[in-house]
Amino acid sequence: MAQNVNPHSASEPSSSIKCNDDRQKLSKDNHAVTKRLQRELVDLMMGAEKAVSAFPEGENFFKWIGTINGPIGTVYEGLTYKLSLEFPNSYPYSAPVVRFTTSCFHPNVDTAGNICLDILREKWSALYDVRTILLSIQSLLGEPNINSPLNPMASQMWANQVQYKKHLHETYYKENGKDK
Amino acid sequence: MANTENQHNFDNLWSDVCHLFPILSHEKHEYLAQESPHDDLTTMQAIVSAGQEELVEQLVLTEVESQLRNNIVPVFWQRFSVLDGRTQSLDPFKDAVDCLYESLASIVPILQSLVLLRQTAQTERQVCGQSSLLETFKVMVRASLHSQLPLNYQAITEDFYRISFKVFCNSENKDAEQNESTEDIFQCAGCGQEVELCQCQSIINAFHETNGKLQELDLLERLAGDVLTTLIHRRIESHVQETCKGSFDVPHIGSLEGWLDTVVMGWLSRIYSSGSFGFRESENKSTVSSVETLSKMKQTLRYFLYETYTRTRIDQLFNIIIEYPDSEPAVEDLRICLQKIDLRQHLTQKLQRALETRLLHPGVNTPDILTAYVAAIRALRTLDPSGVLLDTVTQPVRQYLRWRDDTVRCVVTSLTEEGPSDLAEELSRGEALQLDDLTPSEEDTKNWESWNPDPVDADPSKTSQSRRTSDIISMLVNVYGSKDLFVNEYRTLLADRLLSSLNYNTEKEIRYLELLKLRFGESQLHYCEVMLKDIYDSKRINTHLHSDTNFNLDNQEFAITAMILSAQFWPQFNKETLELPEFVQEHLDTYTKAFETLKGNRTLCWKPQLGSVNLDIELKDRKVNFTVSPIHATIIWHFQTKNQWTIEELSQIMHAPATLVRRKITYWLSQGLLHEIAPDTFELVEESGPRVKGHIPADIVCDDEETESAMASAQEQREEDLQVFWNYIVGMLTNLDSMSLERILQMLKMFALQGPTTIEVSLQELRHFLDRKVAEEKLLFYGGVYRLPKS
Repeated sequence: MAQNVNPHSASEPSSSIKCNDDRQKLSKDNHAVTKRLQRELVDLMMGAEKAVSAFPEGENFFKWIGTINGPIGTVYEGLTYKLSLEFPNSYPYSAPVVRFTTSCFHPNVDTAGNICLDILREKWSALYDVRTILLSIQSLLGEPNINSPLNPMASQMWANQVQYKKHLHETYYKENGKDK
Repeated sequence: MANTENQHNFDNLWSDVCHLFPILSHEKHEYLAQESPHDDLTTMQAIVSAGQEELVEQLVLTEVESQLRNNIVPVFWQRFSVLDGRTQSLDPFKDAVDCLYESLASIVPILQSLVLLRQTAQTERQVCGQSSLLETFKVMVRASLHSQLPLNYQAITEDFYRISFKVFCNSENKDAEQNESTEDIFQCAGCGQEVELCQCQSIINAFHETNGKLQELDLLERLAGDVLTTLIHRRIESHVQETCKGSFDVPHIGSLEGWLDTVVMGWLSRIYSSGSFGFRESENKSTVSSVETLSKMKQTLRYFLYETYTRTRIDQLFNIIIEYPDSEPAVEDLRICLQKIDLRQHLTQKLQRALETRLLHPGVNTPDILTAYVAAIRALRTLDPSGVLLDTVTQPVRQYLRWRDDTVRCVVTSLTEEGPSDLAEELSRGEALQLDDLTPSEEDTKNWESWNPDPVDADPSKTSQSRRTSDIISMLVNVYGSKDLFVNEYRTLLADRLLSSLNYNTEKEIRYLELLKLRFGESQLHYCEVMLKDIYDSKRINTHLHSDTNFNLDNQEFAITAMILSAQFWPQFNKETLELPEFVQEHLDTYTKAFETLKGNRTLCWKPQLGSVNLDIELKDRKVNFTVSPIHATIIWHFQTKNQWTIEELSQIMHAPATLVRRKITYWLSQGLLHEIAPDTFELVEESGPRVKGHIPADIVCDDEETESAMASAQEQREEDLQVFWNYIVGMLTNLDSMSLERILQMLKMFALQGPTTIEVSLQELRHFLDRKVAEEKLLFYGGVYRLPKS
């Protein structure tokens, strides 16, 4: 079954939702969404999970920054990726918009950072939360879906892990500065 | 020649005029009454024909005025200044008025002649803004009087009215209480004379006469108005104060109004309606004007009464609030008055100040503050149903309560304590807790017709709905703005109570818990429910273990019963350590084994410092029984093997801190079982020698333990709170790279402090905490921002 779907062709409504839309109309729901996000933040902060992390970016509870470490034992080990999460007002009934802010060389991530992951699209369920999203993305790093690539070059290169790793690290450091 | 003729005619005319108006000739002419009116009439006609009536009138009036200024008025005022020594008598004022009246009366005929002249000339003019000459004259009198006003003129006027008022009040009172025996009273309360020589009646007569004269001259208002007003005001003040003194349980507003209407207004109407003499122009007009004056005065005085009363009540408001349910009439009075008089601001300030000086200082116990706060909530709700007043006034109280450490504990204790307590009653009324919710609640649209806007001093950030809720417990919980704090505190309290009672009796607690659940909701109190269930289950498990012969528990040397608590649901315990004697530990292990058999894959983790031990101590000459805490028992146990111990040794063998051992050992010293032979060295007292004073009670329950909480101390709690923050800080720094101290605090406030842990943290505390983390190398601080070290 198709795990990954092109984000541009996939159901547009969910991706077009921005946190600032419908604000007024849904002020009551907003409260519930804030509560839910607050709860998730508490769980995330108090949880023992060290490989993934996320925190609201600023005053806005609807915009978070996430951090994931490359899964150990994969070519991504030792690399750290930052993501942005934008929650719609209808969260958790529609998925947040998640994209990489750190440039990521990966078969299912395009150059703009868009991620092709079914649970962020048609497989979304209200049972998912920030933690599970980030963990899914983390595991996606190590187990890409070569069959529906957003980045064909990465997809082709995946077979050769040594070359892939070399290229990955080169681009990672080139794109994100030496210090990372 | 014609000139001489004219001159002659003129001289003749002038002498006639002087004859007509003797005042013009500057000589002391007696007005000749026998002069025939015809003569006067001819003179007048002559004046008119000469066209000089205006000039003559002016001349006469000027002369009259100078007469007033130079003679009459100075003489009148003279009488005021001469008598500086204040005599308690009506006479000075009365004499002065009489004299003035007489001398003014002597001028009246002149005026009458002038009127006649006017009639002859058939002219009407206005002098001093008055068309009538009599009125002009009155204006002149007033002007001259005021132009020479001495400084102390009020003293005598005041004496006059005070005495008369006193007499009047007295006569009113006599009317009211006639049955009171007056024979025993030698002094008349009114005039201060002996009863036989009572001058009351004469005083009243003189008073009326004088007032009548003043009224006629239109001087009453001018001359005595001030004095009257101050006098009445003072009288109202003292009366109100007397009425309000210390009694809050009777409404006074009605009786005060009645008093004003009968006594004060009665007196005033007598002043204004005193008999009239020749100065009156038309009887009707003056009556109308005096009625008007009276009703105007009544209005003013009534408001003054309200104001005085309100001010007095506001001054007493703190006491009224403290006595609230009993002082309801006073509050009701105040509510009525506040609708008429705008003293809200004054009330708010006064009450706040009273609260601050009398309540909000370290010398007051927290329960007392809470009682006062509850009373204030109730009283102010009655006073102002919109709740705005309450909100404003009690703001400092809430702030202060938030700052006190034991507030939550006190609230929770009084909520659940036995016996009559306001809060416990309130709790059993069982309403759902309403918290200030920031989401705008929908206004009640059904009663839109009875809607009223909030008062001007309302805080616009709160909905009027939330203010109107009259639930006291909600208000108390809102001091902190969070239920969780209360629920946590209740949990700690419950834990303490359950663990200190040790009798598995939870019925009472269950009742309270059910009541609390109505307010705080099921989910919040889930933990507490588990705790109670633990206790209940423990009882069952104990019985079960003891009844089952397989476990051999009954064959042990002493019986063990345990409280089996689900660690997850109970608050944190003190992290004290205590090594029980091996003999006891063996028994505990047997129990644990039995429990493990029964419960499958569960085990027990003992809290040796909790619980109680019942032990018999056999000494050489006596046998005593004690029920003490395990640590006490352990201490005395060790004296079984060795007669002498030092604190150091005990602390080592018991794995307990020396300070704790030293504190606990004093119990045995006080019981006379141990004796300190050298500093920190103790010996068992085998024989109760003469050193032991008194008989030792056979069964003593150690009660000093009860005050100590088994739960983690506030400081430990704080550490854990900070640990929570640390998780957040790590979280935010992981994702946001580097942040300044202020920004960290801001983010914490926004995201961490809203959660279930409502803990305040100050900038200093946070800085201190982060600096510690920097020292532990868990954090980097560079260029004003914190960041995580690279792993």
